[in-house]
This record gives sequence, C-alpha cells and structure tokens, in this order.
Amino acid sequence: MIAIVRSEWLKMRTTAVPLVMTLIALVLNALLILVIFLSHDGGGGPGGGSAFVSPGYTVPHTTQQLRNLVGSGFQGYILALLLGVLCITTEFRHKTVTTSFLVTPRRPVFVVGKLLIAAVLGVGLAVIMLLASLLGGGLTLVARGGSFSAMVHQLPAVAPGMILVFALFALLGVGIGSVLTNQVAAIVVSLGWFIILEGILVSLVHGAERWVPTGAATAAANLTRGRGADFGLFNWWQGTLLMLLYGLVFATIGSIILTKRDIT
Amino acid sequence: MTSAIEVHELYKHFGPVRAVDGLSFEVAAGRVTGFLGPNGSGKTTTLRMLLGLVSVSGGTATFGGRRYVDIEKPIQHVGAVLEATSFHPGRRARDHLKTVAIGAGIPISRVDETLDLVGLSDVARRRVGKFSLGMRQRLQLATALLGDPEILILDEPSNGLDPQGIQWLRTFIRHQASIGHAVLVSSHLLSEMEETVDDVVIVSEGKLVLQTTLAELATRAGTSTGMRISTPELARLTAALDAIPVGWRQVAPDTLVIDGATPEWFGPFAAQHQIVLYELVHERGSLEDVFLSLTHGYDAADPHLMGGTPSGPAPTPGGPS
Repeated sequence: MIAIVRSEWLKMRTTAVPLVMTLIALVLNALLILVIFLSHDGGGGPGGGSAFVSPGYTVPHTTQQLRNLVGSGFQGYILALLLGVLCITTEFRHKTVTTSFLVTPRRPVFVVGKLLIAAVLGVGLAVIMLLASLLGGGLTLVARGGSFSAMVHQLPAVAPGMILVFALFALLGVGIGSVLTNQVAAIVVSLGWFIILEGILVSLVHGAERWVPTGAATAAANLTRGRGADFGLFNWWQGTLLMLLYGLVFATIGSIILTKRDIT
Repeated sequence: MTSAIEVHELYKHFGPVRAVDGLSFEVAAGRVTGFLGPNGSGKTTTLRMLLGLVSVSGGTATFGGRRYVDIEKPIQHVGAVLEATSFHPGRRARDHLKTVAIGAGIPISRVDETLDLVGLSDVARRRVGKFSLGMRQRLQLATALLGDPEILILDEPSNGLDPQGIQWLRTFIRHQASIGHAVLVSSHLLSEMEETVDDVVIVSEGKLVLQTTLAELATRAGTSTGMRISTPELARLTAALDAIPVGWRQVAPDTLVIDGATPEWFGPFAAQHQIVLYELVHERGSLEDVFLSLTHGYDAADPHLMGGTPSGPAPTPGGPS
C-alpha cells in the first residue's frame, strides 16, 4: 500500500494539478485576506468599530478576528474537494486507468490508494493555505499596527481543524469521483452541490444543516477550538465521523461499480 | 510443454451480443502465438478478459492456472500492450514509467533499461503529449517490459509503427520467445505475423476456428500446388498432357495451369517433349488465402475445423473473393 501511495504521489506530482491548485489557492487566500481587512467591523465585539484608527476598516484584534485571519484560507476546502475529484477522474479522462488496473488489478485497492493520496494532498493544501495566511495576513496585520504574535497564538486553535476538514473534503472528492468517473460530471456535481443545492436543502428542510457535508465539516473544524456544538451542529468528532462516512460510502459504492466495470 | 496461458470455454456477452463465444486455446512458453482474426472477432475482448480489465461472462482465462487478479505483483509476470491505453499528456515518458515501477515494486533502474530497450532514451524527458503514435507504442511496450515478465500479451502492437519499427518489433518478439518467454500477439493480418509466429490461434465471431502451428498452416497452404505455364506451343503441350492422367485448365490464350504439378515433375516432362516455355511458375496458395478462407468461410457446423485436426479438409485457396 505504501508503494501505491508513493506511485500516486508521483502521478500527481508529474502533472500540472499541484501547481495550478497551489496558484488558485494562493490567489483565493489573498482575496480572502483582503476581504477580512476591508470588511467593516460588524460583530467583532461589544466595543464595535469605534476604537479603530482607520475608520471603516478592521484591524483584527479579538480572538475570533485573529482566528478568522489565521484560517482565512478555510474556503479552500472546495479546492481540497476538487483535488480529490481530480486525482481519480484524471485516470479515466486520460485513459491511464488501464495501466493502473494492470498494476493494481483489485479495484478497491486502487480506490483506497486514491483516498490515501487525496488525504495527504488535502493536508498539504491546508498547510499551504495556513502558511499563506500567516505570511500574507501577518504582514498586512503588522503593517496595520496589529500584533503578529497574537495571530500566531491562535494557530493551534485553527490549524488542526482546518487540516482535518481539508483532508475530509479530499476524501469525499475521491468518493464522488469513484462513482462519477466522468471528470466534467464529477466537478459539476460537486460544485453544484456545495455552491447551490446544499444551501437550498438546508433552507427547505429544518434541521438539515447538521447532516449535510458542510455542516458536518464545520463541526469537525471545531476540533481544537474547545467549543461544543454551535449553530445546531454536531460536535467535532461526530462531524468528523459523518464526513468520513460520506466519503467512504461513496468510495465503497464507487469500488463496487468499478469492480464490475469493463475497461475497454 | 507447459501452457503459460490457458483460455477455457470463455464467454463474454455485451447485452445480446456474444463477443466471445466458448473460446478455448492455450499458449505455450518459449513460443510466439499469433492470435488472429478479422476486426470484431473478439480478440481484444479476450485479451482484456485475460488481464482482468473486462469481466468474464463464463469460463476461465488464466496464467499457469491463476487469474490475473490473483497474481501477486502481476506486471512482473505478465506484460501487456493494449490498444486504447493512454498516457497523461503532461507527464514525461520517464515519469510515466517511474509511476508504474514504484507502484509495482520494480527497481527504478529498470526504467532507464527499458527506455533504452525500446529506443526512447533520447526522449525520456519529453512530455508524452508530444509523442507520435509510434513513440507511444514503444512507450507502451516499455511499460509492459518494466517487470521483465515471462508472459507478454500484445494487442495489434505494430499499429503506428514504421517499417523499421515493425522489423524491430519482430526481432524483439522472436528474442522474447528464444529466452523462454510466452508471447501472445494479436493481429487481423496473418501476413504481418507469418515471419514472427510459431503457433496460430484463429478466431472468427468469438469462436475458435483453428489452433495449430504455423508450419501446419503452411502445409495446408502448400497442398494447393500447381504449375502455371506460358508457352507458344500450347497445342503441343495440351496434347502431351492429355496423354497422361493430369488435370489442366487454360487461363489465357498462351497460358494454362496444371493442377498438382511440381517443377521437379514438369521440368523433365517439358524437356522430354521439347516444348518451348516462356514462363514457368510454381503456384501455391498463400497463408493469407488460407487465413481468409478460414475466417470468412467459417462454418460453425464443421466439426473438423472446430477441433483443429490436421486431417480437416483443406480449404480452398483464394476462398470466396
């Protein structure tokens, strides 16, 4: 299994996907940092925005604001999902799956290899975005007279949850990709769900928010924030298990379909 | 002689279509077996069932008694070059081989060895998207050879190769057999294979038509011998022929064909009768003729052909043309 993961890592590394994904992640992160610094201080705390030197602009200083800055790349979870989708559907798009199945004829093993590499890639993406936040967000913070050490202080509260969530989304991506091996279909369905359908479902069905993947992942993100369930969500380990379950159920269905599928 | 590959009563149904219909044959180690049949006769499906890529509707397809999926590290035992296999266009040739080598637990040193073997060392660091069809075919072959397998399965391997490439491939295949490896190579052209193969498995419409040696097939082709003679003294020749029990037919104003005649017989005969000859041709049915008649004129009800017994009726050269 280690050999398969190493092989998968090389497969990923020798395509443009990591580079492109990193670039997209960095641009996204820069935008998100910008949003934080440009946003008006709404619910920052009882003190409101009146205390700021530059009226109308926020310099993060409360615990929550600093955590938001450290975790500014959190929205990148959608990229982790796409990484998972890509790392399996690329094989079908370029028909490299024939060779992969000759090397690994047991198809569930092939899917497990993809799950493992996707988890690694998800963690990697989370780390890149955390570093980008520390660097980009930190520099901007210092330039605005904020405290970098106060920001770094919040890293242990944010990083583990973010890393966990990115890995979980990457796993889910592999699961979706193993069922929908058509790359375009898998991407459209994934984005369609997380950008549009999930929101509609949550607004229509009472209590659905804790069960949908984003709700489960949000709960999982509370790993080290020491908070219990908020917004009617599960606690972190329940959310983690639910997300894991979604990924693995799809991956199992995908493995069964793939095992029966003729590669012609 | 042990069988490297055994296909036994193999079936594949795609819906109502019987792509492979009760096919049985064996491939011996140390020999090159040509897997021959027209396009759409089930060759590719059979090879993909052997390799576990296509599910089996019935029967077995095994390597030394084991299914492909049951072989530990299969590409170290069975190497395959298949049609419609592809590469990631952005990946370099060497990296492609490395991903396979790492995944299969093959030393990385084999990557450069196989690149060298197939003549791709110079382009090892080029992206595969820039490769010609022939280069892709060579890279596929390199992939198949990475694990130094004792069994090779090649599906129409000469597609896309230039004449030098085809010649190189033939030499390569012969070499593989000479070191004891089993090679199963499919083609829809017997003529392409006749310099390469030892044995032939001929299929048509998913069924076995004949499994035999190339030598035996050549004998079949050779049985339809005749002499074609052009002479300005046609009348004298026919008169001489009519005096002996031999069949002949006139095919042109100055040309006739003597059935079953050999040069060893006809040369002295012509000299004895002092007949002037312009042309003397020993005619024999080509292997391709036999192949075509076997695959097109195939009659499922003919038990002689099914069993592949040498005593089967000699097919008509030329077949239905």
